Amino acid sequence: MKSFFQKNWVQILLSGVIFILAGLAYAQGGWPDVLAGFTTGVSILGRESILLVAAFLTAGLLQALVKKEFITHWLGREAGIKGILLACLGGGLIPGGPYAYYPIAGALLSSGAGLGVLVAFVTAKNLWSVSRLPYEYAILGGTITYRRYLITFLIPPLLGILVERLFGSWISAIRENVKR
Amino acid sequence: MSSATLILWCIVGVLSIFSWRAGAGTLQRGLELTWKTTRSNALLIFLAFLIVGFVNVLSPEELITAWIGPNSGWRGIATSEFLGMLLPGGPYVVFPIIDILSQAGAGLAPVITLITSWSTQSLLTVSFELPFMGWRFTSIRWGLGLAIPVLTGVVALLLWG
Repeated sequence: MKSFFQKNWVQILLSGVIFILAGLAYAQGGWPDVLAGFTTGVSILGRESILLVAAFLTAGLLQALVKKEFITHWLGREAGIKGILLACLGGGLIPGGPYAYYPIAGALLSSGAGLGVLVAFVTAKNLWSVSRLPYEYAILGGTITYRRYLITFLIPPLLGILVERLFGSWISAIRENVKR
Repeated sequence: MSSATLILWCIVGVLSIFSWRAGAGTLQRGLELTWKTTRSNALLIFLAFLIVGFVNVLSPEELITAWIGPNSGWRGIATSEFLGMLLPGGPYVVFPIIDILSQAGAGLAPVITLITSWSTQSLLTVSFELPFMGWRFTSIRWGLGLAIPVLTGVVALLLWG
């Protein structure tokens, strides 16, 4: 029972939100509004489905083309500003959710990567993600997506450099922290 | 067909050719990965679009405009940063919800803050980060990262109002 809730908590949370919204729709206009909420959602999903399939295909094909082992091997060796820039590139290219890239970041940490490199890698994954780009563009449109990428473009390398300067010497303690 | 759909299908075409030329079953692996992602996210997408449908019917424009509208200023940016941390799930769930907020009157700067906050400060992601990176790493990255969504929101506000 516990593992069912642990595994599906996002679905359960979203169902709870839908339940509350359906209650509000009922309070607003009775059953016709509840039905309208349901049918509107399904019809928007139907309309967007061609676009969603394309976004999923783009993400899937990118994942197949970019090999995780290659990125880990490539980043473990470089340090300094060059390492931070490569980490940004690797983070932006690496596909998959947090369950996929944190094990890689963990492997980089234990194989000797610096703190700035690690923070740049994670931040670039979060802000530059190439595999997320098609979906963001498809749903939110060109203007928001392009402006969002433009504004956040410098953040991963700058944060990496800042963290390396301020806390770079803490890396051994961080490595020990994870080993324990 | 919208231009976004057309562009994405062109990208799919180009990537398919690259995958096919890469050989060693890359194209097949790509299609398998697509199917795997679609299957594991199908229910989440369906639920996210139901939320979109209900928000559409409830049309809480006034509430959204007041809190995160184009003229919500600092309050809009702060609210968006907080909301972004709490948004659950991956892009398949979050982007349709942000889109409906945007259509219902959210301003550009709060929307950009919201996406950035969900990307870098999500509490759900922190739960994956802690076991692999330890609390020291998370404290530094997440702690310094708190400034990022606000900063991007302010830049968006200055550039595009």
